[in-house]
Amino acid sequence: MQIASEATGSRAVLSLNGRFDFHSHRDFRGAYEQILDAQGVREIEINFSGVDYLDSSALGMLLLLREKAEGMGKSVQLSGLQGTVKQVLEIANFGKLFAVKD
Amino acid sequence: MPGTPLRILIADDTPTNVKQLEVLVRRAGHTPLLAADGRMAVALFRDQAPDLVFMDIMMPGMDGISAVREIRALPTDKWTPIIFYSALDRMQDIVRGLEAGGDDYVVKPASIQLLQAKINAYARLLATQRREQSYIEELRNWRQDAEEQTRLGAHVMTRLTDMAGLRDPMLRHFNLPADTFSGDLLCAARGPGDVLNVMLADAAGHGLSAALTAMPLTQAFYSMTAKGFPLSSIAEELNRKLKAILPADRFVAATLASVDVRNQTVEVWNGGNPDALFFSSDGEVVLEWASAHPPLGILPPPVFSATTETAVCHEPGDLLLCSDGLVEAEDPAGRWFTLDGVRRSFAGVSDHESRFDSLRQSLEAHLAGQAARDDVSGMLVSVPIERRRQVRFTAPAPQYQGRVAEWRLELTYSAQELRYIDVVPGVLGFMAQVEALRPHQGTLFLIVSELFNNALDHGLLNLDSRIKGMVGGFELYMQHRSERLAELREGRITLAFLVHDDEGEALLDVDVSDSGPGFDHASLLRDEPLAGADTRPHGRGIALVRGLCREVHYFGTGNRVRARYRL
Repeated sequence: MQIASEATGSRAVLSLNGRFDFHSHRDFRGAYEQILDAQGVREIEINFSGVDYLDSSALGMLLLLREKAEGMGKSVQLSGLQGTVKQVLEIANFGKLFAVKD
Repeated sequence: MPGTPLRILIADDTPTNVKQLEVLVRRAGHTPLLAADGRMAVALFRDQAPDLVFMDIMMPGMDGISAVREIRALPTDKWTPIIFYSALDRMQDIVRGLEAGGDDYVVKPASIQLLQAKINAYARLLATQRREQSYIEELRNWRQDAEEQTRLGAHVMTRLTDMAGLRDPMLRHFNLPADTFSGDLLCAARGPGDVLNVMLADAAGHGLSAALTAMPLTQAFYSMTAKGFPLSSIAEELNRKLKAILPADRFVAATLASVDVRNQTVEVWNGGNPDALFFSSDGEVVLEWASAHPPLGILPPPVFSATTETAVCHEPGDLLLCSDGLVEAEDPAGRWFTLDGVRRSFAGVSDHESRFDSLRQSLEAHLAGQAARDDVSGMLVSVPIERRRQVRFTAPAPQYQGRVAEWRLELTYSAQELRYIDVVPGVLGFMAQVEALRPHQGTLFLIVSELFNNALDHGLLNLDSRIKGMVGGFELYMQHRSERLAELREGRITLAFLVHDDEGEALLDVDVSDSGPGFDHASLLRDEPLAGADTRPHGRGIALVRGLCREVHYFGTGNRVRARYRL
């Protein structure tokens, strides 16, 4: 999975591309840690429009990010949900845990 | 001097040559082993297993070339470099030496600097090789440990998860692990009122770590089911337990279902699993329970929702629970099995056993011999409809011999406790401690639940059972019940139990009273049809109690009832 990170002002967007699974662990953590460390960033958006598959360990990584961000008073938002990815997140009811942007 | 000291075999028949090398070897901190001819060199090599060899070629008896050939023919698990050190300086001598098994060739006489540099270079090479060797060894040990742990884990896990409840005649199940272990956990057990509780849990990931994640669920599921706790309380406890134990990125998707044949209801809590489906005999999906909650172990108890959905089954059929591994099982072209795959496998097959077999066969054909990427599990529960709805439950025969010791317990619950306490399992917990009552747990659960629920539903919540008979009435009744219970501010229910002896017979009196207005109990007893012929959707509960007890009496306005049961 490729991750593009872009921060403007208080908002940072992580755009994910490819298969988001167990093997993406290190890359994903590396990317969000950098953003969490950035002083001005208050809102983190994870864009899934380029993701074609999501497994349960990816859901775990999102939960971990959510916990860390909340601890620092930052918010996490999910965007670009489509197809299988949208379905997986809906079954897990992640809409009750994360803000979702249409 | 860097590195570990080496043992270096020097084979030469000329004492001055031996001396030159020996001094050099010692000065570099290594240990020399000396041989005066080829035969002795081979013997020393075999006994001492040196790290490096300097080999002369022209020696009496066995020459260096033959010695190296013999050395290379010895069985060994390590590489020992051999350097020919000879006065023969023609190209064919050098080639012959290397072809015999030498690694290097130095022509005599060589400068001390060159020999020194050669020894150092080989020392470095050997150090690298040794490090690699130790990594390989370490890896091999890791692997052995891991295999041992896996074996033990699989053994323990099998014992812990293979419970008798899974062999219930009403259900069939399968669990195909993607790894040695499955992260999918299947549980089934009957509650004290004969209600069948089942659970299909799917821990994030697979293998040992996933199996470990799901493990804490079994004990709570089985013990709470045995005590008759409602499904919502079980879901709440499972979530609380996992939330306390697991790190933030671990969770367990789970479907819990409670199948009550007597009341024809199926109650489901689904957090993160594919839809639970109810198939009628003609293969239609007539009821479905989509995931309504996040998986277990994510939300802290105050925000966790244990709300279940209950549906009435108007026709017999099969309830299917499965993990996402079944939905996402891929055929060789990468296409998912999906719930439609399940529907298709049930087409034209109406009985429970054949449906289960057909599902297994369709899945197998779909996978076409490939291993599934994720754990794949499923559970098919057959839900019969008993048209005549006779009392299936029979009390154990009276068995108490001799005089029973008197035992008395009285508990009063006010509105505040009634809103959140599971009264009946709690009371049954007290009763389980009394020896005389222990064999009757199942029957007593039914009697106490029935009398208590009547007191709560009708006495305090003022619910009308007749609405259960309307279309969608049961769901409406349950909805009213939870709304009114949440708003309950006044009222109390008292439960009193008395074990006593009546002319050699051991008896239990269950006395339940509420602070409500009571009801026209005389008409209830008058209108009651014979047990076994009752097809009304309400009023069957009290008929069941009357069937199980020696006598049931109402007192005053009907807000107090006493059931007398023979132990």
